[in-house]
Order: sequence, then C-alpha cells, then structure tokens
Amino acid sequence: MGYGRSDSYRVATTQDKDDRSPKKKKGAKDMDDLKKEVPITEHKMSIEEVCRKYQTDIVQGLTNAKAAEYLIRDGPNALTPPPTTPEWVKFCRQLFGGFSVLLWTGAILCFLAYAIQAATEDDPAGDNLYLGIVLTAVVVITGCFSYFQEAKSSKIMESFKNMVPQQALVIREGEKVQINAEEVVGGDLVEVKGGDRIPADIRVVSAHGCKVDNSSLTGESEPQSRSPDCTHDNPLETRNIAFFSTNCVEGTARGIVICTGDNTVMGRIATLTSGLETGKTPIAKEIEHFIHIITGVAVFLGLTFFILAIVLGYSWLEAVIFLIGIIVANVPEGLLATVTVCLTLTAKRMAKKNCLVKNLEAVETLGSTSTICSDKTGTLTQNRMTVAHMWFDNQIHEADTTEDQSGASFDKSSITWISLARVAALCNRAQFKAGQDQLPILKRDVAGDASESALLKCIELSCGSVRAMRDRNKKVAEIPFNSTNKYQLSVHETEDLNDNRYLLVMKGAPERVLECCSTILVQGKEQPLDEELKEAFQNAYMELGGLGERVLGFCHVLLPEDQYPKGFAFDTDDVNFQTKDLCFVGLMSMIDPPRAAVPDAVGKCRSAGIKVIMVTGDHPITAKAIAKGVGIISEGNETVEDIAARLNIPVSQVNPRDAKACVCHGTDLKDLSQDQMDDILRNHTEIVFARTSPQQKLIIVEGCQRLGAIVAVTGDGVNDSPALKKADIGVAMGISGSDVSKQAADMILLDDNFASIVTGVEEGRLIFDNLKKSIAYTLTSNIPEITPFLLFIIVNIPLPLGTITILCIDLGTDMVPAISLAYEAAESDIMKRQPRNPFRDKLVNERLISIAYGQIGMIQALGGFFAYFVILAENGFLPTTLVGIRLNWDDRSCNDLEDTYGQQWTYEQRKIVEFTCHTAFFVSIVVVQWADVIICKTRRNSVFQQGMRNKILIFGLFEETALAAFLSYCPGMDVALRMYPLKPSWWFCAFPYSFLIFVYDEVRKLLIRRNPGGWVERETYY
Amino acid sequence: MQANKDSDGGWRTFVWNSEKKEFLGRTGSSWLKIFLFYVIFYGCLAGIFIGTIQALLLTLSNYKPTYQDRVAPPGLSHTPRSEKSEIAFSLSDASSYKKYTDAMTKFLKKYDDDKQTDQMKFEDCGGKCQLMPERFLKCRDTVSSTPLPGRGFHTREAWLIVKLNRIVNFSEGGRPPMNNSVEEFLLPKLKPNLIPIFCKNKREEDADKIGEIKFFGLGEGFPLQYYPYYGKLLHPQYLQPLVAIQFNNLTLNEELRIECKVFGENIGYSEKDRYQGRFDVKFNIAS
Repeated sequence: MGYGRSDSYRVATTQDKDDRSPKKKKGAKDMDDLKKEVPITEHKMSIEEVCRKYQTDIVQGLTNAKAAEYLIRDGPNALTPPPTTPEWVKFCRQLFGGFSVLLWTGAILCFLAYAIQAATEDDPAGDNLYLGIVLTAVVVITGCFSYFQEAKSSKIMESFKNMVPQQALVIREGEKVQINAEEVVGGDLVEVKGGDRIPADIRVVSAHGCKVDNSSLTGESEPQSRSPDCTHDNPLETRNIAFFSTNCVEGTARGIVICTGDNTVMGRIATLTSGLETGKTPIAKEIEHFIHIITGVAVFLGLTFFILAIVLGYSWLEAVIFLIGIIVANVPEGLLATVTVCLTLTAKRMAKKNCLVKNLEAVETLGSTSTICSDKTGTLTQNRMTVAHMWFDNQIHEADTTEDQSGASFDKSSITWISLARVAALCNRAQFKAGQDQLPILKRDVAGDASESALLKCIELSCGSVRAMRDRNKKVAEIPFNSTNKYQLSVHETEDLNDNRYLLVMKGAPERVLECCSTILVQGKEQPLDEELKEAFQNAYMELGGLGERVLGFCHVLLPEDQYPKGFAFDTDDVNFQTKDLCFVGLMSMIDPPRAAVPDAVGKCRSAGIKVIMVTGDHPITAKAIAKGVGIISEGNETVEDIAARLNIPVSQVNPRDAKACVCHGTDLKDLSQDQMDDILRNHTEIVFARTSPQQKLIIVEGCQRLGAIVAVTGDGVNDSPALKKADIGVAMGISGSDVSKQAADMILLDDNFASIVTGVEEGRLIFDNLKKSIAYTLTSNIPEITPFLLFIIVNIPLPLGTITILCIDLGTDMVPAISLAYEAAESDIMKRQPRNPFRDKLVNERLISIAYGQIGMIQALGGFFAYFVILAENGFLPTTLVGIRLNWDDRSCNDLEDTYGQQWTYEQRKIVEFTCHTAFFVSIVVVQWADVIICKTRRNSVFQQGMRNKILIFGLFEETALAAFLSYCPGMDVALRMYPLKPSWWFCAFPYSFLIFVYDEVRKLLIRRNPGGWVERETYY
Repeated sequence: MQANKDSDGGWRTFVWNSEKKEFLGRTGSSWLKIFLFYVIFYGCLAGIFIGTIQALLLTLSNYKPTYQDRVAPPGLSHTPRSEKSEIAFSLSDASSYKKYTDAMTKFLKKYDDDKQTDQMKFEDCGGKCQLMPERFLKCRDTVSSTPLPGRGFHTREAWLIVKLNRIVNFSEGGRPPMNNSVEEFLLPKLKPNLIPIFCKNKREEDADKIGEIKFFGLGEGFPLQYYPYYGKLLHPQYLQPLVAIQFNNLTLNEELRIECKVFGENIGYSEKDRYQGRFDVKFNIAS
C-alpha cells in the first residue's frame, strides 16, 4: 500500500532472518528510546571534562591512531540511509495489495474450478479458464497502472535529492587537516566557519561571532549565536552545542565532536523517522472492510446454493463448481480499475491545484482528516521577518505585512517617521544581494540577519533606495550588536553638506535604548522624556511584545560640532563619544507574519469540523500571537493564563475546562503522563504547542491518533519528519521543505500554501462520497449477473447470461459510467459538515449492499429476465416449458428438442437463441444501468435538484449504449464473443424496469429528505 | 492490536448482544420491520414481473411463434442419437448396442398401429396423418418387430431412423428440388411430392467400405402431404413421417463417416450447424 507501510515487507527485506525476533525486540526498545529526549550532557561539563571523556586534547586534537580506532569503533560519521524499497517489492505491493487480493482469489478459484472440470469432464467448458485469465489480466494491468502512476510521483521526489559530499576541517596531532566529513570521529577537534555545514554534534570550546542556523532541526530559521558557555539545561537550547547538518551562518567556532552519525540529534530523528511504523491509510481500511463484506456475501450465497444444489441432487463435484462459480461471480471485476482510476483522476486534479500526492491512497486521507497538526514557521507563516508595527509620535502604527502589499498603509508624512526610517536604514548592516533589481522588493534576497532584513525591506518599500540613503550618509564608525550591550550603533555624516555634525544612530533592545535617551521625538519635536512618556513607551512595548513580536528601539542624536568636529576619530573599542542623552525616535516590531491565505484556510477547516493544532518550535508568545492571527485560537477564546490574568487569580485556581484554548509549552509536555496528554487534547478545542522537540511532535500526533482522530501533519523541517511519517497523512512543503520531510510525507504542497490543504480536504471528501456512488453503481449490476446462474442451477432453465457477457458488462459498459461518477459535483457543501467518523461512516456499509443488492439489483435482474423470457417466448419456448429443460437443452446429441409449439430444435439452433438471450440480457443490464447511474449521482438529493451537468456521465451513458450496440450488431461478434444481433423491440424490454428503478429511488430519496433520521434513512441511506 | 481485540470480542456480541437484545446487530422489531419491508418489496416486484410476463403472453399467438428465423430451415435428426456424432458398438457384445435398440424401440412406440387406429383424433389434418403406407410398416417391421433387441445390429446391419424436424406452418419441401439444384445421382430417386433423402460416404476413400444403404419409408424420403405442420394446438396427434435407413454391409473395425442429406427448396444447410438439413454420423462397428 503506502511506502513502508506494511509489516510483512519489513520482514521480507531483513537480511539476517535468524535473529529477527531478538532484533525486533531490540528495535522496539530503541524506538521508545529514540522518542525520549536527547541524552546529551556534555554541554553541562567543563571543557576539560569533555576532553577527558573523549581522551582528546583541546589544542592538539586527537592523535591519528586514536581517530582511526574511534572510526572503527563508531563507524563512519554518516546517516544510515533509510531502507529503500526495491522496485519489485513496490510493484508486488501494487499487484497484491488491498483490492487485488479479492481478484486474485477469484482467479485462483476459477483455475481451480477449471482444473476440476478438466479432470472430470472430457470436454470442459472454457468459461472458468477464460474468467481466470481475464481476472488475472485485470489485476496485472491495474497493478502496472498504479505502479507507474506512483513511480511518476516518486520521480518528482527524486529530483529533490542532491547529495554533495561534505568536507570537515579537523585538528589532529596539532595539524589542521581537511577530511571527508564521514571520517570525523567523536573527540575530534573541528573548526567551522560561516557557510560551513556542521559535520557532527559538537561542543563549542571557542567561538567568534558564530551563528548557526538550526532551521533544519527546529524549523526556526533565525540564526542563533554559539559560545562556549552553557546557557540552558536542555541540550537543544543551550548555546554551546552545534548540531550535525545545521549550518554555520557567520563567524567561526571550534569544538569537540561529541556525537557522530546516527547518534547525533539529527541522526536520531532520521532513525526515528525511518523506523516508524505507520498504519494503513483510511481508504485501505475501508477497502479491507469492503472486501470483508463482499466476501461474506459471496461465501453466504455460495454456501446456500451449494447446499441447495446438493439437495437438488447434483453431484458433489458439480456443486463445488457451482459454489466456486457463485463466489467468483460476486467479485466485481471492474471495481479495482474503477477505484484506481477515480483515485488517479483526483490525484491529477489535486496536482493541478499544487497538491502532489505520493501515494494514491493518500488522496482520500485528507478528506477523513479530523485533526491537522501544523507547524508554524514556513507553513502558516511566510518564514520571513517583516515589520508589523511601529510606535512613534506616541502612537502605534500598523505596517503592511501581506505578501502582496495589499494591506493598509500608515501615515508616512510625520517627521518622526522620516527620522525613524533614517535610523532604521543607517543602523543596519543588511543589504540586498546584487542583481535583483527587477524583482519585487519583498522577493529579493538579503545578506544579513532576519530583523535587519525586515527593516531593510520595510524602509526600501516606504522610503525608496536604502543604498542611496547610506551613500548620502557615509558611515564613519560602528559598534556591532553584541549580547552584553544589546544595542548596535553607528555614526554617519549628515546628508546636508553644509552641516558638519555627525549623526549617531542606535538600535537595540528597547529598554536598553531608552536608558540611553533623555529626550524623545514627538511630531518632529524633541521633548524631554518624562514619566508620562516613559509609561506610554512601556505600554507600547508591552503591547507589541504581547503580540509575539520582536521589538527594537531606535534613537539618534546629532553630535555637537564643537565636541566632535569633522574628522573626529571615533574609537569603537574604547568608546570616546557620547552614548548617553540621545533622542528616542520610536519602536519598530517585527514578526514572521502569517501567509495571507492561512486565516481563511483555517476558518474553512474549522467549519469543516477539523481541529487545527499548532505545533511549533517557536516561543509560546509568538506562537500564540500567530495562532490568534490565523484563527487557530479564535477571537474571544481564552487560555487558562488569559482567564487568570483577566480575573486576577493564580493560574492554579482556574478550572481548565473553562478555557477552550490552550498554549502548551514543550517543557511542560515532557512531564505529562499519557492521560494528562489525552486530557489536553480532548478538552481543548484550540491548542498551541510551543517549544516542542521533534520527538514531542511525534508524541502529540500519537496522542491524537490514540483518541481516534485521523491526523494530518504539515511541516517543512527535518524536525517535523517523524510526525509527518507517523501521521495518517504527512503534508510537506514543496519549496521550503527539507528533503527529509518530503521523503517522510505522503503529500507535498508544491506552492507551500497551507490553503491547498483545504483543497485537499475538499477533494478527499468528494472522492469518498463519489467512490461510494461508484461502488454502489458497480455492485448493483452484480445481482443481475449472479441471479441467472442461480436460476440456471435451481430451476434448470437455459443459462440466461454467460460469462463473456458478464465480463462485457463489468469491464466494458460499466466502466465509463462508474468512473464518471468520480466527476460528480458535491450534493451539498461538503466543507460545512463534520469529518467522517472512521468507525461509523464506512465506504461500503450494509445499507449500501442492501440497496444495491437487495433492491435496485433485484429490479435490474427482473428487467434482464424479462428480456430473456420475451426472446425465448417469441421464439417458441414459453416460460412454463423452460423450467427443467436445461439437461436436454445443453445436450449436444439432442437435435430435436421440442418447444411449446411442437417445433423441434437442433442443438445449434437453440444455442443461437440462448446466446441471443445473453445479448439481450446484457443489453437490458445496460438499459437498467442507465437508470442506476442517474440515481447513483445523488445519495440524498433528487436528480432534479442535482441536475445533469456531469458531462462525463452523459458521455458515459452514450458510450455504454454505443458499446452495447456495437457488441450486438458488429459482424463477426457471433464468432468472437457469441453475441447476436437483437431485434429492435428487444431493446425496450427492460425500459419499464429502468423507469421503475428511477421512480423507486426518487421516492426513496424523497422520503429520506422528508423524514430526516426516519426509518428509510436509517435503512437505506448509504 | 487494540482494534483486533475489539473485533474478536465484538463477534460474539455482534451475533447476540444480550444487553440490547440484538441479534446480528438488530433488535427483534428491527428485524421484523426490515423483513416485512422486503416481503412487501419483493411481493410488489413479483407482481410487476408477473404483470409484464402476462402482457408478453398477450402478444403471443397460440398457434405460431412470433419468430421462426432461428428454427428454420429445419434440422434433420436421427434415432438412435449419437454421442459426439458417433455410433459405436461391438457385434459380439449385445450390451454395447442395447442402448441403440432401446432408443429405437422407445421412439417407435408412438408410431404403434394400435395408438394410431385407436385414437381417432386426426380430423384436423384431413386424415393425412393416418396415412401409414405399407412400405413404412415394413420398415417398422424390420426395425422394431419382435424380437427387436439386437436385431439388425448383430447381423452387421445398422439402422437409423431419420426425421425432419417439425416447424410450425413451414412447408419443408414446397415442391421437390429443381433438377439442376440436385446432384446427378439423385435424379433417379426424384419423385413428385417427396423430399428425397440420400446418404453417402463423407470421405472419398470410404466409398467401397460402406456397402449397401437401403431406405425404408414412404418412398425414399418424406412425403409432402405431411406438411405443413400446424402446431401442437391444431395437430395434437401429429406424427411426422420417418425414414429408416439400413446399412447392410458396413466394413467392420473401421471408422466410417456417412453423411445424410435432404433436398428441397426450403431446406438449407449451415457450416456451423451440422444437423440442419443434413447430418453426419460415424459408424464404428467392432466385430
């Protein structure tokens, strides 16, 4: 079924089969172990302790001998690639998975029946043999089809892969050597610089302005600085550990390797991901359920008539042949192909809307989804810091954060704003990369950190070229940002050539910047910074901070010319100029804003009854702000903390049941028991998990699944991949997503647009409904196909419908109409109803069988039999004569069989009549299937409400009729398929029954609509 | 695993849930309702079906089927029947041909004199059916008079009784075949008012192995005065004319293929139907 979804396959590919069971046990323990948090402790040790642990030297590094020894002991520093499924296994899975099993069983039974016949009769009828061959052909062809379909999707995946061998700079025996990253061992002293990929998990021993981008691990792309000090107990948060396969953005660092290969944090995630067992897709479960039902019906019918045949005096062997025949007749030959084609069509339709589905069965999964766990950064948000608010002139101004600049703008005329913009532009090291002038500003690449880029873009957008501004204001000195100062300042010449004063601009943490100020700029006028204004500042700062935004303060001052004349040598190391009594200009706050389409999409998911949970590695405040921004926490809903703050009582006194929303911190999550976890998931409708590790994401997904939810996970980072894999459907981002996440996912949003998920849900639900209709349509014709054989056995009439004609229906005329139902429009707004309950709402249930087999199918059978009796009667055999005639009828040596009028028939003459009957029965089924496909268009609405807008269906009606006419009238068909031309009047035999079906079902649906929840609905609404 | 456990335990409760008093997932009244529904539903369906069948019967004639294009031209059938068109027996083993003689005896029962004379129900066909010419009686004697079992067969004589299949209102011969439509060897046999039958070896090399073939009956063929047949209703006692064919001197221990054919204006032959207007039969007589 899916990739790596089946247990048996895993066993099959295990090389050493002997120690399979102990290995498996160990594997299970390993998995639990992997789900726990990282056991790294080195960050809390002193450097000496670490050196001692790895027997290495802080200056000399490892000796070559030691390194070689470690390399042999620990193996190469590389991730074990996940076991790839060999192509033939994938192919076999297509060939023998799910629905195919049913057809294979049918085919085998056919061959068995033929073998019995061949062994006992001299001249066995070839029917069973042909049927077996056709069944086999159908499975093989459909298998190939879906194999190639999926292979095509996988090919798109392949293109994402790029493997570049990594190099690492290590110090061994005091010498710097460039070696393959694979040869790095624990204890190695390595050096990294900006642009490098970290070769292993390293404990930093010294660093110079080193910043790493941990986005592949945490999903947050904000560079984090690295230093030798331990800043946090959690190894993932502490500053002195850099992780394997993250990137060093700038600066340099030196560190001791503490983990390599699969033992690294990244390695553990990768192993965890590839080791996860995922369940069957919902549609696979549904198909399994369907197979159970159909097998039950088949076996029941088969056994009943087996016993009946024995009672009627048939021999055991004959009865067994009948048994097999009946069981096989229940196999809907065309359904496998229909379902595959329907799913493929939907997959294609979704691909057009930028949802690439890797696994056909996953097409429907989104439709069943009841919970979406979404990553924040890059999925819900644009993954791009943007200036969201500004505070100046004692007022908060809102900046436009939309992707296409369609939002509202603020008043740009204020002098304060011009000053603020100047400070933000000048006190800023970010700059656009070259050669992007033709691109829109927001799309341009920037060299520099996220906040500065945000400022740069904001200023460029509102005030024009920043570079020109910088050129006019030459920089003379600069103090870069550091964590002790928490500010950055620079000194510039002024624009006015006559003015020789220098302009000092500063930006930084607002409280630090404010400390340096004594005045504040309001409406372009400097005012002393009094308590009132300070409080206004505080309020603004708190408010913006509370929005989860990163706030920066800005101030400037024109240095007095008498103290700092032109040419003054500014010394930035030993500050020889004024950094106090500056003039405060304003605040600017930044956030990674939500994607434009997300709030709407979340709203749609919500109204579709889908719970949207945010699971992020980011801070709770930011996460909550974004959650509120996109509607994951809807307006008016409060968390426990909010209630506590509102009522002014401690958090512990608030009844958690009162709070619908919940923001859960990763560190709290670690201490929760399974029950508490379930409690949170069950009792809160709006949940945000912040600061979560990859393992915790997985635990959250498992928790949701434990509660019976069908979970979709969206994410882009490596950190999301275990959750993506574990989810019923993992949705990865096509543009920003990492390769690992794409590998683990079932579906890829090619445009990174969360809103595409809504499309996926819609299409998934639609295909589920339409598959029901399609199956109901296909199954119905099973009854008119089986009953002829049953009556043939029971009342000994000439066979009304032969195997070939049955196949013509199942694989011929029924195909296009059945597939066309996949194009049927939804009956009502499917996005307004709750997701289906996987336990109650089945693809095929007993009501569908009751309707298809018990009611519509029976009417169809009568239509067919009527045509059969008409033809025989008009040829001289009245119904009364037919009963019991079978033995003589099928006796080749009887060439003077008498009919009702006393005429005598040779064998060949009456066989032609019989085959004409088969043809007429076949045509009658086509005629009653017209009505069937029209009634199957809707499950509740009247056809008159639904309309006949499905062009494919109309085409299907004509196509099946044309095919039936062709099979009947094409010269040579009597030899090829034993089908004979019908007299025109015989086409109309089934018309009354076709009409009856239509009327009956319209009445049934009318009753369902009139009495919601009434008996008719309970018994017949499928 | 969990689901598995559920379904295991679920089976028994599914069959009989004592809590809700449910049998196979339905309560008694629910079963009754659905059962009643289906009884009524199928009752109505049966009514509709019988109604349409009645309507069909109304359109049919009592005397003649609507279409006869499949039954005509008539077949030529023979008694005893052949299995896979082969008649094989051993002269020395009486049981091997008993089934053939039995079949003939049984078949000729209908033609017994007493039956024909006793029942005077032949008024509809103008007395034609009573016609039982002497030659045919002779044939019957030869074939069936006592002691029939074994007679004929054990003396290297093989017999076939041939009849032309009945078709309502169908004039088989119409008139005798035109001279030019018939093979030359038939010419001496042509008589007015007779559909001639002729047998010969199918394979050229068998020409001198089949010996003499004698025809007994109302002339060497089927007399036209027996046609047309007016159907069961008008012709309840109709007995179609027969021709008995005697193979006098078939070569033993060899497979001999013999083809018999009738000739007439409305008689046709078909590639696929080997019994239409002709038949061929294999004799395999062991000594």
